[in-house]
Amino acid sequence: MTVLADPALAADARRERRFFLSLSLPALFIVGLAAILPIAWIIRQSFLTTGGEYTVGNYEKVLSSGLTWSALVTTLELSLGTLAICILLGTPLALALASARPRVANLLMAFVMLPLWTSILVRTYGWLVLLRREGLINAALTGSGLTAEPLPLVYNFTGTLIGMVHYMLPLFLLPVYAAMRDIDANLVRASASMGATLGQTIRTVILPLSAGGIVSGSLIVFIYTIGFFITPAVLGGGKVNPLSIRIERTLSTFQDWGSASVLGILLLVLMALIGVMFLAARRLLARNKFGAAHA
Amino acid sequence: MSWLRISLAAIAVTVALPVSAQTVTITTAGGDYGNAVKTAMWAPAAKELGYDVREETQSDGLAALKMQVTSGAVSTDIIHLGSPEGAQAAAQSLLEPLDYKIIDPKSVPDGAKSDYCYPFDSYGTVMSWNTKTYGENPPKTWAEFWDVAKFPGRRALRANAQDLIEIALLSEGVAPADVYPVLSTPDGLARAIKRLEAIKPNVSVWWTSGAQSAQLLKDGEADLLVTWNGRAQTVKADGGAADYTFKGSVIGTDCLGVPKGAPNKEAAMKLIAAMTQPARVAKLTDFIAYGPVNPAAYEGGLIPEDRLKTLATAPENAGTSVFSNADWWVKNGEAAQKAFDEMMNR
Repeated sequence: MTVLADPALAADARRERRFFLSLSLPALFIVGLAAILPIAWIIRQSFLTTGGEYTVGNYEKVLSSGLTWSALVTTLELSLGTLAICILLGTPLALALASARPRVANLLMAFVMLPLWTSILVRTYGWLVLLRREGLINAALTGSGLTAEPLPLVYNFTGTLIGMVHYMLPLFLLPVYAAMRDIDANLVRASASMGATLGQTIRTVILPLSAGGIVSGSLIVFIYTIGFFITPAVLGGGKVNPLSIRIERTLSTFQDWGSASVLGILLLVLMALIGVMFLAARRLLARNKFGAAHA
Repeated sequence: MSWLRISLAAIAVTVALPVSAQTVTITTAGGDYGNAVKTAMWAPAAKELGYDVREETQSDGLAALKMQVTSGAVSTDIIHLGSPEGAQAAAQSLLEPLDYKIIDPKSVPDGAKSDYCYPFDSYGTVMSWNTKTYGENPPKTWAEFWDVAKFPGRRALRANAQDLIEIALLSEGVAPADVYPVLSTPDGLARAIKRLEAIKPNVSVWWTSGAQSAQLLKDGEADLLVTWNGRAQTVKADGGAADYTFKGSVIGTDCLGVPKGAPNKEAAMKLIAAMTQPARVAKLTDFIAYGPVNPAAYEGGLIPEDRLKTLATAPENAGTSVFSNADWWVKNGEAAQKAFDEMMNR
């Protein structure tokens, strides 16, 4: 930190800081309007009876209901399942992309990004066409004699997971790919020249150096999937009911805004907890990297 | 002088025009059904009255109505609801009382009368099946629908207790007239829920919208469905391998209500009266198989003879049916839905 001896210079610096801060005001205003206000409104709503009196009854009702907890479990199962598959499929894919020649990498990247630019509704209904009983995949399976009966691929947990992984994979891939591309190629060459096998290089050089990207990607997957609604609603067949669907049903069938608000807050708290967990994980990683560099 | 007069007249006309055209906003269910209601009912009525009618669509009318009324921003003048939702909305004081000085009180049979939501058409929740799976020998009763040994196949039911708990009791041999008395006994609801739980392992899809149920039937995704007669009839008419029966159907009505604090209350009452004239509700059956509530619409050959068979309320179809009881649902709806959700969760 340089100490500014000249008071005029210091005043200049202060003015500059104030100016830069003021530049962020429109954005802050929009965030306040679009995020903070509705959340404050939901919090207020969660303490109101249908008649408009203050109560904690909504919290008692929602937190004591088995339906809430099973919806929470389903939410976590879907998120963790999607995350696990994204890591298993996405990490090798990112590695392949990062090590491919630029032209091939660009082409592959276009294939990855294409679904990202398609509406989620279109993609979800697309899966319905592919996965249903008389759909393309089952027709191929039964037609070729691989299975005698069509497999139950959709209107259940499996179908929902397939749809969610398809949506999340590109979003997971991007930070992982960026981290892997930034790895100094000399480090990989050095490890190879010192006799490491490919597996050893991946394990001891590439994965530790891209861990930050994997953690970022995982955070994105988690935060997105925890509030997923369309995919379980269309592909779950009424049998996969995470918190988002519980909220919708509480609103539409029971018109119980208080309880729906409590469920919304529960979802928000869950997201915050996961966010904090991931931030802690990243800090831990950064410290380890720092420690390793000095070892 | 004459110039001044002309320009004054021109100003008067331009000022008067927007005022003279009465605007009314109507909220419908949208889709094929919404289009049918528009073409057969409110569009010609609006033309007759000289109203400028705007349409909004909502798949969940009651939730939308509640949001508008409780937030004090009522933008719609007429809303299309299912009668149980209409009764619920009335119980929560979300609707204006209907003005039966403008609307003809004799146009509704006594059993269906409502002070708040005007019933205009009716539909049956029916059993429907894939004709490729069952050929000439489909299940004929709800008891057979539950008989998975005799009629194997994938079932699809609506993810909602409405009509299903009535059907569950019918499947156990409860007579149509006894359904609500049984449901009103202390263990009546539990009995119906237990019956639904028994069929649950054989339900491959719990559908959430009428359009989805039609798709399941059309695609052969489900072999045996509970759906609405209009949806089943549309799939059948489009050449789908599907058929359905009115035997044991649960008959419900849809109604039109005026939200509390609607901006154009009186015009809304006039439009409801005009759009539900016998000829117009009869015309609705040109587009969708939902029969009029007004008995006068069945007179004078307004509805062709062969189409009568496709309507839930046709005399020959009504014998084995249960009329959905809106009052029961207002009183017990929440308990029934909660018991249903818990059953789904087990």
